[in-house]
Amino acid sequence: MTVLEKTRAPQSPAGRGRRSALGSSWTPYLFLAPAALFIALFQAVPLAQEVYLSFTRTSLLNPSRSTWVGLDNYARIFADDGFHRTLLITLIYVVACVVGSVGAGLLVALLLNRGFRGRGVVRALVTVPWAAPGIAVALIATWMLNPQYGIVNRFLDAIGLGVPGGAILDSPTYALPAILVTTVWQLFPLTSVVLLSALQAVPKDLTEAAIMDGAGRWWTFRAVTWQVIKPTVGLLALLMTIWSIRRFELIWLMTKGGPVGATETLVIDLYAQAFDSKQLGTAAAIGMVGVVISLIVIAGSRFVARGAAKEELR
Amino acid sequence: MRKPRVRRATVVAAVLGLVVAVSAACGSGDGSGDGSGASEGGVTTLTFAASTFGDPGRGPQLEEWLEKFNASQDEIRVEAASIPYPTFGQTVLTQMGGGEGPDLIRFDMPEFEAAADAGLLAPLDDLIDVSRYDLLEQPDRFMVHDGVRHGIIFEASNYAMFYNADLIPEPPTTYEEFFATAQSLTSGDVFGLAFRHTEAEEAGVWQDIFNYVYGFGGAWSDGENLTINKPENLRGLQAYKDLYDANVIPRGADAATFRRMFAEGKVGMELNNGGYATHLRAESPELNFSVAPIPFPVRSQGAILAPIVINEASEAKEEAATFIEWALQPENQTSLQEILGASSVATATERTPESLSELPFLPVFDELTESSLPQIVLGFEAQTPDIRKIVVQNVIAALQGQVDLETALNNAQEQATDLVG
Repeated sequence: MTVLEKTRAPQSPAGRGRRSALGSSWTPYLFLAPAALFIALFQAVPLAQEVYLSFTRTSLLNPSRSTWVGLDNYARIFADDGFHRTLLITLIYVVACVVGSVGAGLLVALLLNRGFRGRGVVRALVTVPWAAPGIAVALIATWMLNPQYGIVNRFLDAIGLGVPGGAILDSPTYALPAILVTTVWQLFPLTSVVLLSALQAVPKDLTEAAIMDGAGRWWTFRAVTWQVIKPTVGLLALLMTIWSIRRFELIWLMTKGGPVGATETLVIDLYAQAFDSKQLGTAAAIGMVGVVISLIVIAGSRFVARGAAKEELR
Repeated sequence: MRKPRVRRATVVAAVLGLVVAVSAACGSGDGSGDGSGASEGGVTTLTFAASTFGDPGRGPQLEEWLEKFNASQDEIRVEAASIPYPTFGQTVLTQMGGGEGPDLIRFDMPEFEAAADAGLLAPLDDLIDVSRYDLLEQPDRFMVHDGVRHGIIFEASNYAMFYNADLIPEPPTTYEEFFATAQSLTSGDVFGLAFRHTEAEEAGVWQDIFNYVYGFGGAWSDGENLTINKPENLRGLQAYKDLYDANVIPRGADAATFRRMFAEGKVGMELNNGGYATHLRAESPELNFSVAPIPFPVRSQGAILAPIVINEASEAKEEAATFIEWALQPENQTSLQEILGASSVATATERTPESLSELPFLPVFDELTESSLPQIVLGFEAQTPDIRKIVVQNVIAALQGQVDLETALNNAQEQATDLVG
């Protein structure tokens, strides 16, 4: 008799009956059915429709009258220099968001992991930007960057770093950095909270042993702390990448992808094609490019994670 | 004890039941969507969508005007649906594309043209006998496409120059004076002029540059071909860019911001349509402002033409037509005119002494009606939103110094020609 069997409570006949009913080979499917149905209805069907749409010329004004055009939409977007620029801006935006939010989150988490008075209050305050709705964050940032009334321009002017004309969001040079700073400001609380919980799982005896062996702070972090939090950082990086690829409201509210396409990411381009130009087919093709990029990111991250796991086993 | 087959059947039935329940929930429309002309207790309720219902100055009065119609009817009721201006066209066109949407809509011209071209608007010829009404000829001619009438003018609002009469005792009468006035007023946090110049306000930039292009003798097309890069357009847009480069406008400020600045006396002049006069008077009664024709070389400027249309998907087209006919009655046109202030309505109406006393510059707007044009690309009406996007992006690229203006207009001409084929 195994330990589990020994410690298991005796079953009543009624209990056995219930277990028997729940033990049917169909039971897992029953439990999975709602989720599977939800995914099928709200993800698989729309995705299949999007794939179909991307091979058609369909107007938003007459979606029922579409024409099959094969790969025309894909050929057109890939031949367009503007789309190449959109891909580049998406790449810059995603990389900067991931590095910025995870980097800032890690720094804040390391600070919050140390003991100091009022740590609980600071931890609570740090989560405020994440708790604020994206629309509110975008409107606050736009107001702060307003060239006439915004505090940012006043401050930059005061220290002699004012942007010519003062219109940061109207400048092809400064608009994207301004959006990036706002995005990172909104995201870093989440990464810091998650990383803080990971840091608290770092065994103290290991860090103490490293210090006793003469390792400095940097080496202790690298050899002990980083090894423990690495999977969490990887997961956060993956989530941030996917969220950044599909982020819409912040960019749309702050610049609508302008000026002159300087902040136009894939999702903004998709929206503009679908609702400004009313070309659902082209928008669907752009969407499919986004889906493929997301799948590549996910596959890449799994590949890296598997490689790391194998490395650890060795 | 149940047999396994019975249990399996129970599970399958439960899953099927869930599928049916979810499908029913997803597909359950009660048919009382916006555009259905819902009927209850013998009263057909129509939805009338307009961005102006949300205008703090005119919205409440327009709703009172609707209530007058409702009070006059036993079987029809019209309810206002306020949709914000920046997203109005997109919201309503998306609904209409899906066979839904309001029964009655007050559109701006670009969206009106796009909807008419897509067959989303009910032809009005069999529903309304317009020969019974004395419609204003100039704006009304844009309501008919290939002999088919798709709309009736609800509001026509000409563009003119608004100026702060405390800052500018005598309004400029030439472009040179206009430029010099803007420069002389600009100091500290006061600016001589304001206009829209950011991509985030694409439709607004288009409205503003329209006055510069047509005011310098240009045109977006000759009716058959696009003429985006013609020399007159370049001159007009150069004038617009010169003002931008001269830093006489609050750069980066959107319309909401610079209109608030105008109301606070921090902006001296702006080009705007008649609807703004009523809004300003209601919001800033203390502001001493006046209006003059735009002082550009050619007396030609934009006009906001806002037709009222019937959704082709509406199940209550006749009831909707009854409302439009009610609106066209002389006494209702007069009361609508009073609400809209400096704008015109579908028919010629007399200004009341009270209106003229409150807004003495109203005749300025009325005199501009014959020289005002809707902000569409003639001959390419349905493609105006797409052409607008191309032109605005290229002009902003020139403002930002990424390309010179002549090249920007050549690029816009090439891209727009590719688009229209």
